[in-house]
Amino acid sequence: MKKIFSLIIPAFVFSAAAAQINSNLILQAQPPAQLSEWGNRREVLTLILSAPGAVGAQFKLKTEIKTTDGTVIASADLARTTTFTTNSTGTTILFAADAVPLEYMMFTGKYKTTLQRTGKLPADNYILCIRPVRPADYAPLGEEQCKNFYLASTQLPILMKPYNEEVLDAKMAQTAITFRWTSLVPRPSSPPTYRIQVFEVLPTQSPVQALRSNQPLLDKEILAATQYIWQPQIHFMPVDSNAIRKYPTFIWTIQSLDKAGNPVTQTDGNGEGRSEPLIFFVNPNRKNR
Amino acid sequence: MFLCGMISLSALFYCNNSFAQTKPVSFSVSGSAGITYEGYGLNRNPSGWTGYAARKPWNQVRFNFTPTFKFGKNFSLPFNFNFAAIPTNFAGPYAGIKNQNFTQFITNPVNNFGVNPKYKWAELQLGTQYLKYSDLSTGDIGIFGAGIDLRPKTWRFKFFTGISQDGVNYFAGPPTVTGAYKRKNWMLQIGNEVEGKYLFAVNLAKGKDVPASSAPPPLTAKPQEGVVISIVADAYVEKIYFKAEAAQSTFTKDATTPATTLLRGFKPFIDPHTSTLTDFAGQVSAGWKSTNLDIGIGAKYIGAGFQTTGYPYLQPDRIDYTLNTRFNAWKKKMNVVASVGRRVNNVKNTALRASQFIGNLNWFTQFNEHWSLNVNYNNFGFQSASGTNPYGIKNVSNDLGVNPTFTWTGKKIIHLLSLSYNYSKYDERDVMTGLTTSNNTHTALLTYVPTYLTKDISPDFSVLYFYNDVPLAKITLFTISSALNMSAAKKKLQLRGQLQYTLGKLNSFSSNNNLIASCNIDYKITKKFSWNTFLTTNYFKYGNEITPVGANYLESICRTGFQYRFDTKK
Repeated sequence: MKKIFSLIIPAFVFSAAAAQINSNLILQAQPPAQLSEWGNRREVLTLILSAPGAVGAQFKLKTEIKTTDGTVIASADLARTTTFTTNSTGTTILFAADAVPLEYMMFTGKYKTTLQRTGKLPADNYILCIRPVRPADYAPLGEEQCKNFYLASTQLPILMKPYNEEVLDAKMAQTAITFRWTSLVPRPSSPPTYRIQVFEVLPTQSPVQALRSNQPLLDKEILAATQYIWQPQIHFMPVDSNAIRKYPTFIWTIQSLDKAGNPVTQTDGNGEGRSEPLIFFVNPNRKNR
Repeated sequence: MFLCGMISLSALFYCNNSFAQTKPVSFSVSGSAGITYEGYGLNRNPSGWTGYAARKPWNQVRFNFTPTFKFGKNFSLPFNFNFAAIPTNFAGPYAGIKNQNFTQFITNPVNNFGVNPKYKWAELQLGTQYLKYSDLSTGDIGIFGAGIDLRPKTWRFKFFTGISQDGVNYFAGPPTVTGAYKRKNWMLQIGNEVEGKYLFAVNLAKGKDVPASSAPPPLTAKPQEGVVISIVADAYVEKIYFKAEAAQSTFTKDATTPATTLLRGFKPFIDPHTSTLTDFAGQVSAGWKSTNLDIGIGAKYIGAGFQTTGYPYLQPDRIDYTLNTRFNAWKKKMNVVASVGRRVNNVKNTALRASQFIGNLNWFTQFNEHWSLNVNYNNFGFQSASGTNPYGIKNVSNDLGVNPTFTWTGKKIIHLLSLSYNYSKYDERDVMTGLTTSNNTHTALLTYVPTYLTKDISPDFSVLYFYNDVPLAKITLFTISSALNMSAAKKKLQLRGQLQYTLGKLNSFSSNNNLIASCNIDYKITKKFSWNTFLTTNYFKYGNEITPVGANYLESICRTGFQYRFDTKK
């Protein structure tokens, strides 16, 4: 009996190890530019592996990122990557954190430098290739699956008008103030929503403190357009002579939202998708011009 | 309790000093204290219509207590207490918070509780502090904690530690509370400075989130950790100045990502994760400053991965160059302020490089005692490729303003008549069709201000016309307004009233109407004690450009408060 088992078990293990693993790679055409963010978003990458009749088969994933001319710019260090085991259903589903383990990915040359400094790769088209391999000798266990993707980090709008520290005439500002900003770069496939906010800076506050603590006087969501004409419906009064700032002061910013209403960038910068704010003043006293 | 303790300690110090010296040391108090109530009202019609949102809290009470006690020449005790009864955060870590615990209350940016006792060159910093160490290390964030600022002779030693935000639990709402991780901060500066001659300093600033500080955690924020080290060198030689700063940041964008040995950290301050970035920033400026001529050049580079917790809204990945000047000419009757600059974004080409041109000019001339003219021009251009779209992004904004003013003096009145005209043109290219749309705005304002030489009243009157034209939308606004300033009760009472009516029109829809009335009443009860009140009401009635037709709202603000001014000077 023992002899039979000693023959069957290695045969089973060998057959499992040698079993063909079919894979299907689903990758977003334009995933987040910040590579570390891939692991947080399950929708970025899904890898479905099936090994019919090979329950318990072990495998590793040989992951490579290539440029469109086929040059390999990153590859997984197979000696350190995780060994996976096919489960009882015969189908294993993996996501970006498993399939593209950044902690074990070896980048080359300028890509390594850029990744270390920016967390991103230079904006370009790339190819991601994944193939299951045998843990012992990295022999292929299935076909290589490759998918193209385009990387470009989102650049938040830059505020144009009123420009930083512009002094507006109160009589004009009481009727209308025109706000302008640049659009998101690159222009997303679905129109973004720009949320414009204007905060009054109280005499005892710093501008950023006002932005982080006050209720905005203007809080408006604008679809795709990069200009807004605000009728403030406010009378701007001269500030107290003891005040730190000479004129009533306001700080404004744009928050860029995607179609689901979430900030377009969540790990870049402030994480709120808010552009660098600018301040402007309103001069209610013409004699001070 | 804390307040009493601080003042008692100071009094004790004061007494000791008094005994030690033959002459009693002087004591003075300056600053102010007060309380302000603000009430807001909004009535929208027809009932149930929500097309206009409230823009102030319904009720708010603000307290301020900012006296500076001075004991002799060497010791001062300034307080900076400003706090509000109701949180009103819409952006940042406390966005949406309604019920605060004690730590959230004292660390909320709406509140300040700071005390800075100072003896000669030694300052103790307690409570809320907004400390700016440099432009690239830390400066925008208030931190509640404790620290020191020591300036023996030419040396500078500063250290501060505390928390800039407390943990806030995510709440789906309504209203949604974004949530935040508790963030601990440390900052250090060591340097040498002779004011007006030179400054050399090394700064270190660190911020670290506590991952377990909120449950449920925020959905859109990750626990982060960052450290920045910077070197500042400034020099001033008579009218010439030179300023420079170089900085390196190491920042973990998501502390939950796996640790790695493949990336650089900044030990012992920060261990690397797969989301850790190390990048650089620098700025340099030099110039000449004098009474009649200023000229300066500057450059600023912020690397794509440069990030500091001290400036959370700093936009990275850019390089700016600017040249600016100011000069007086024609016996100081002509004053010109101008700047020209270029900004490049996505310098590292991690996305698409974008280029901007920025130019400003303000030219004021006083021709004679009657005539003056102000001309200003602003240009802002932005250009970038647009990913997979067929055409690149291109926005160009041009603004030109002309403002002649005529003044003449009568027997009892000085008259001022001023005309302002502004033309603004904004061109934007469509990335799909390549077509450029133009957005033109004309604004004309005529103001008349009579100043009475024998009366305590000063009115002003103005008329404004605004026209904006973009494809599919034409907006016209016509405003008339008047204001009156006057004093009464032996100048104890200062009154200012304003009335403004605006007729607006969008395309061929019927006109909308807006009436705003406001007044300020400032009453000096005593020399040091005043009562200030501001009342305003704003009625807006839409035309048929929105549904329901005839929608309107009435918005009112009442702000009233008492201020006491500390002043022991005789």
